Amino acid sequence: MFRLLITRVVLGLLTLFAISILIFAATEMLPGDVASAVLGQGATPETLAAFRLELGLDRPAYIRYLEWFTGVLQGDLGVSLTNKRDILESIAPRFGNTMFLAGFAALIAVPVSVGLGILAAINEGKWIDRVANIVSLATISVPEFFIAYVLILYFAVKHRWFPSLATVFPDMAFSTKLYVTALPAITLTLLVTAHMLRMTRSSVLAIMSQPYIEMAFLKGLPRARVIMRHALPNAAAPIIAVIALNLAYLIVGVVVIEVVFVYPGMGQYMVDGVTKRDLPVVQACGLVFASAFIILNTIADILGILVNPRLRKRNTGH
Amino acid sequence: MTEFEHKLKMAEALAATGKMSRREFVQFAAALGIAIPAAGTLFSKVAKAEDAKKGGALVIGMEGGSASDSYDPRTYADSIMIAASLAVMNCLVEFDDAGNPTPELFESWEAKPGAAEWVFNVRKGIKFSNGKELDAEDIIYSIGLHRGEDTKSPAKGILEPITEIKALSPTQISMTLKEGNADFPVILGDYHLVVVPKDFNDWSKPIGTGAYTLESFEPGVRIVFKNRGDYWKANRGNFDTVEIRYIQDAAARTAALQSGEVHAINRLDARTVDLLMQDENVKVVRTKGTGNRYCFVSRVTMDPFTNKDLRTALKYGIDRDQIIQSVFSGYAVPGNDHTLDALNPFYNTNLPQRPYDPDKAAFHFKKAGISGKVELQTSEGAWSSAVDCASIYQESLKKAGIDLTVTKVSGDGYWDNVWLKVPFCAVYWGRRMSADATLSQVYGSASDWNDSDWRKPEFDKIISEARIELDNAKRKELYFKAQEMISDDGGMICFAISDYLDGYSPKIAGVTPHARYDLADQRLAEKAWFA
Repeated sequence: MFRLLITRVVLGLLTLFAISILIFAATEMLPGDVASAVLGQGATPETLAAFRLELGLDRPAYIRYLEWFTGVLQGDLGVSLTNKRDILESIAPRFGNTMFLAGFAALIAVPVSVGLGILAAINEGKWIDRVANIVSLATISVPEFFIAYVLILYFAVKHRWFPSLATVFPDMAFSTKLYVTALPAITLTLLVTAHMLRMTRSSVLAIMSQPYIEMAFLKGLPRARVIMRHALPNAAAPIIAVIALNLAYLIVGVVVIEVVFVYPGMGQYMVDGVTKRDLPVVQACGLVFASAFIILNTIADILGILVNPRLRKRNTGH
Repeated sequence: MTEFEHKLKMAEALAATGKMSRREFVQFAAALGIAIPAAGTLFSKVAKAEDAKKGGALVIGMEGGSASDSYDPRTYADSIMIAASLAVMNCLVEFDDAGNPTPELFESWEAKPGAAEWVFNVRKGIKFSNGKELDAEDIIYSIGLHRGEDTKSPAKGILEPITEIKALSPTQISMTLKEGNADFPVILGDYHLVVVPKDFNDWSKPIGTGAYTLESFEPGVRIVFKNRGDYWKANRGNFDTVEIRYIQDAAARTAALQSGEVHAINRLDARTVDLLMQDENVKVVRTKGTGNRYCFVSRVTMDPFTNKDLRTALKYGIDRDQIIQSVFSGYAVPGNDHTLDALNPFYNTNLPQRPYDPDKAAFHFKKAGISGKVELQTSEGAWSSAVDCASIYQESLKKAGIDLTVTKVSGDGYWDNVWLKVPFCAVYWGRRMSADATLSQVYGSASDWNDSDWRKPEFDKIISEARIELDNAKRKELYFKAQEMISDDGGMICFAISDYLDGYSPKIAGVTPHARYDLADQRLAEKAWFA
């Protein structure tokens, strides 16, 4: 078990290192640089040269990468090229916001979708199964900004029950935060529910055709009990994997929602960094996103092994 | 005094004492034969300033900034930082609604004949938010930020002509220019030239002479200001607190205004503004034809655009009205192939608007005898609807039998790799406050930004003459000629000048259209109040 954990962590770190090189290379390949992006149409050759010299952009790319990388190893993400602010300081509150919204949405979405998935499996083919399927498929079939605008139009503009601006500030009370982020959290819930619900339903149903389930039925157990006690533990691994994937999406994939609800998360920060060619900012965001993805997937893998006795045995090498 | 002048004086007196409303005044003036925009301005000048009410918390939702914004005036490039700096700091020169330079931290000025030597008087008794009293040294330091070899300021170019700045006394500054410029105060009104105390450089805690002090600044999220109290401009700086929210998405901005979360927003979407006007919670202020100048620019030194007949054909072959209707929903005015707009006092009113005339276009195209393709490069990086404009252009040229190849290129690095480099591409220009700045920066031989590469010694001569000419009638004649030359011979097809569209809550008072920028020249925080 311990060896498994170590291998996973080392693999994760190696992936992160490779990703940092990839992000750096990708931003280097973009046309233009921070100087031309910031100065825009008003640039002259002299101001461009002065800007580049000041930022050290005249030096080769690999030296800049190595400098940045050694900094990161010491916990220093560097300063933004455009406004000279410390990146760690700028990123920390935004990362907190991203996690807050993702957590809020996950707290609604995960129980709802897993619960509904099980309910749908228990009542396979009945009306509750159909309704859950149709509604969740419908919400995933329309673009995310559409759901967002519909919610804003109805709940913010027409009825003024919720604010359309979900911007949160450090000095806000926790309950206020929940109130202002209600609309984006609901939007995100609608977006991720379908995937988890359908995976829960189909993995449970796949197990249902196994001989030991038939055995349980033959013992005379009710359907609900068979599913909860016998089917669900064996179906858990794929469900956990899908939940991890959706949690990762809630963290890294919500830039459109951030823009529509004006939520100060990391997505918007990274997009600003890309348009301004603010390399250290893009690198830092990329690294954080990649870490979130890798950590969640590693946890999902380990959990998946832990809940399944057979997998647990094979992997410990006995 | 003629009868006309007498009547106008009477009307002015009535307006000044509040016995005549703006509408009545404008109607009266129209009866006298004064154009309506001019009358509106006249009314603002003479009307007794409506007493501003103090107090309240203003929230503005804006586009035009990013997470990389900074208070360093050498980095200002977009609306949010212009508005944010003008809340905390003051400029040297302000502009009135019609766009004329008026005193701000410079109380008055005087030019020696030839307009190369200027003396400026610093306003007395003004205090910075740290308690220091404003003097000439602060202003010289603040201008100096944008001068010198290694500055990265975009204002470097416009200050290049200054050869010497010195303080004659703590309240008087003299400046000497390489060559005369009658519009020099207009140049000093540039938004980069805000004043900070001498040697100040901690841009995270800006200090200025403005109506507000900075409370908190989260770039890309919000900026909060608090009233300093006792602002030196009468009737200005009325709110207790002001907050600017970054809202990049036009639909999100509109929703925030409609739901009452913000009191003012900039850059309304022209496609939905007609619907928005039906909402009683929204008041739209439209500033006609002073926004961006949208152009397709050919470089006259590169083939095939060296051919004047081809350029003429391309100018007659664009359907300006159709582009304005379908892309800008009517919220733009047609351009006349140069970048001056009708609100500039030197705009050539004698030059007829060039129409869409496929026959003439076909005639000139034939005369040009071009074989091979004519290619236009366009991109969302030029402006968001540049690709749509180019497609309509392509269609309208087809009617003249001209086959235009439209190539869409990447928006990344557009200004670096495409603009000024390829023979024919999409470009927009912002408004410059003086005719001189407009014409010499866009078309002057010495300008780095002369994107049509149209460089004519006789044009430069006219501009130089006009620059030092202090007699307005003579200047007008010269600028008229200059615009005619560009429109006839230049490489630029300037087809539309956009309107500025602001949205306000009906609670907001004190907002008028301004000749320079939207949101009351980006001075909403100091100009407006809650009715």
